[in-house]
Amino acid sequence: MSILNYNGGCVVAMKGKNCVAIACDLRFGVQSQTITTDFERVFELGPQLYIGLPGLATDTQTVYQRLQFRIKMYEMREGRRMKPQTLMAMAQNLLYERRFGPYFVEPVIAGLHPSTKEPYICALDLIGCPCEPADFVVSGTCSESLYGMCETTWREDMEPEDLFECISQSLVNAFDRDALSGWGAVVHIIEHDKVTTRYLKCRQD
Amino acid sequence: MASAAVAGHSNMKSSHLASLTPQWMNSEVLTGTSIMAVEFDGGVVVGADSRTSMGTYVSNRVTDKLTRVTDRIYCCRSGSAADTQAIADIVSSHMEILEVKLGEPPLVQVAANTFKEICYNYRDMLMAGIIVAGWDKSKGGQVYTIPLGGMMVRQPIAIGGSGSTYVWGHIDAAYQPNMNQEETVDFVRKTLTLALTRDGSSGGVVRVAVITKDGVDRRVFLHNELPEFYQG
Repeated sequence: MSILNYNGGCVVAMKGKNCVAIACDLRFGVQSQTITTDFERVFELGPQLYIGLPGLATDTQTVYQRLQFRIKMYEMREGRRMKPQTLMAMAQNLLYERRFGPYFVEPVIAGLHPSTKEPYICALDLIGCPCEPADFVVSGTCSESLYGMCETTWREDMEPEDLFECISQSLVNAFDRDALSGWGAVVHIIEHDKVTTRYLKCRQD
Repeated sequence: MASAAVAGHSNMKSSHLASLTPQWMNSEVLTGTSIMAVEFDGGVVVGADSRTSMGTYVSNRVTDKLTRVTDRIYCCRSGSAADTQAIADIVSSHMEILEVKLGEPPLVQVAANTFKEICYNYRDMLMAGIIVAGWDKSKGGQVYTIPLGGMMVRQPIAIGGSGSTYVWGHIDAAYQPNMNQEETVDFVRKTLTLALTRDGSSGGVVRVAVITKDGVDRRVFLHNELPEFYQG
């Protein structure tokens, strides 16, 4: 089994009309055994800036901690909030520094620009290659299923309520077909003035 | 103690191109699973989850792993889906011929022994963990377990599959002999729920069949009908 499939987990992010959404499952396991069902892999790095880190769980924690440190130093020096595109560049640099012994995470970033409130999503591979599509990004052990679900359900310019339905259904139906993801989900809808976090109760198998 | 834990594994094609295709295209179809059977006075209760996986992809989430061998003998299958389906078909056809020769339904012990002969003699080529359970008029309800390797032993309660590893302690603590039919169904439902919650290779619905002298009563428990336990 590949190292990226050791703990399991998945993340998806979507763009909407003046909002973005990011969601992940809650399973933490060791190969086929489920250990806990409250392991979140989407973290807040700023008021409207979130990162999802699916992959090996130890690297999820480490990359999050190292990024948090770099962001705090940036905000202290620059005296301003970071914009999402800069976070992408920072994550890219952090991952490529370990080009020949990489962190086994494939991050997903979702956020709004601090001043223009422009929505932004991107995904990176484990050595830092970014991809900035206009619609949605997926990552994790059920990424193929997620691609299929998102491709069929996503439409342009969805309002926050529609975006919540779309991302929830895409995530839940994709990880129901994956033995290593699921056991609950958390969805964050990021708008210019607030972030709504909802926990989804799903089938526990 | 009969052990039938089967962990899912994939048979990677020995080609470097295998890494370019998704994992599920290079994986044998397995039923890493949770199965069990329990004797009670008057018959047996067999139960299983419903997940079939190809690698980590769930290729069938509503599989029926409780396979008819004869009208009063069922088997629970775990391991390779292809191997166990083939073995069950062969044993079922043998039993059909036997019923004609004997003029009466075959004994559960005979069916279990036939399974054992195949599983033992072809043990190097097969990956099959099977539990045979049924009712006949000579010994009533009986459960026989045939784990990997092909040994066969009768047990009042048998569990198998990758999910069984999580419930050995539970059945040691919670099983009581001389339960009635409904208590046994409830016990099977509870045990399988615990197993499929913890095991990534088990999931879907819980299928149960109650086999008595009057026939087979099949039931399905959907996820909202399963008991809820502490979520660690």
